[in-house]
Amino acid sequence: MTPLERRYRGFLLAYPRDYRAAHGGELLGLLLDTAPPGRTVPDPREVAGLVSGGVRARLAAATRRGPAWADGLHLGATALTAVQFAALLPYAPAIPLWTALSALALLAVMRGRPFLALPLVLLTGAKSVAIAAGTPLFDTTLLPVFPAVLADSPLFARTGPVAVAAGYALAGAALLVLAARGRRAAPRSWWWAAAVPLAAWTPAAAPHPLDAGRIALELCLLALAVWASRLTRDPRWSLGAILYLLAASATLTPHLQTPASRHLAYWTLLTALTATAALAACDAPRAATALLRRLTTPA
Amino acid sequence: MYFVLTVLLDGPMHGHAIMKEIAALSGGRVRPSVGTLYGILDRLCERGMITVDREETVQGRVRRHFRVTEAGRDVVLAEARRMQQAAALVMNRIQPA
Repeated sequence: MTPLERRYRGFLLAYPRDYRAAHGGELLGLLLDTAPPGRTVPDPREVAGLVSGGVRARLAAATRRGPAWADGLHLGATALTAVQFAALLPYAPAIPLWTALSALALLAVMRGRPFLALPLVLLTGAKSVAIAAGTPLFDTTLLPVFPAVLADSPLFARTGPVAVAAGYALAGAALLVLAARGRRAAPRSWWWAAAVPLAAWTPAAAPHPLDAGRIALELCLLALAVWASRLTRDPRWSLGAILYLLAASATLTPHLQTPASRHLAYWTLLTALTATAALAACDAPRAATALLRRLTTPA
Repeated sequence: MYFVLTVLLDGPMHGHAIMKEIAALSGGRVRPSVGTLYGILDRLCERGMITVDREETVQGRVRRHFRVTEAGRDVVLAEARRMQQAAALVMNRIQPA
């Protein structure tokens, strides 16, 4: 294998596995045939083409994951259970059982098993709400729960029981609908599990601790959702984003009372990105033009 | 897409031939990258504008030959007519020198 072939093979990883197996050789052959003799470094133009082609092929494959509404609900439920697990992760030594159950819930959701995930989410949800409310439930938990790693304030110090309950209720409702559908969902990427430690990371910042990891993830994923919606005109990404936004709004609502707060600015940003994704998916300008035409055309 | 459909009107071709023909047709102006070209071919296949005519194995690699379908032929013809009419609007207003 020449160095050029090896390097182009590396960039072909941008394509989904099935696509690579079926057509990887064909693309590689053409890349090598059209390269000038003696070339060892890939052409940047070809690299850009491979990366954008690979991402497009992945998005096209994602739109074949079953009906958009079910996949969108599954996406939202995955994001919510990932964040819920991330919220408990820094406190694992203090509440090992509940952190483990939360991890299992995320695993069941990611593997597309709503039946299995639903009781786990409801159980960890009930305990989380109890901790946030400061009432005993199931077992004895010494309050406040102090973190071991990644965070520096006690569990749910800045989140009320209502917000915690809203997040779990939304995840539970989505899983209930998926379970009622009576079939498994396609498994989701392991990247969701890999993202949990980042989402759990809360560096101590003056004057308030900042959920920097979670905020960075939310903004990156929502930007990806906008882009994927724009390219595919498919509603699944915006549906997942809306479900997540509802839970995030419940968390931010108590902080929105103070005018010009950072929370308000952040909530506006999340809402704007979600709305952009939804509008991109339904191709709003074209839909609006079609509607106007129908209204203005005499019957 | 227009160029791909146009060169395929000559008959079935594989990726390399399509690429060469497009470069020749456009005087070297249009040179899609391999990733872009196959993205276009995949989308045209999905929409039924072209189809895989046959596959052959060259040096251990499968190579697809693409063929334009009736629907693809109709679309590229309609597009060419539309552009011809648009060009005629200008041409008819300019006196022959």
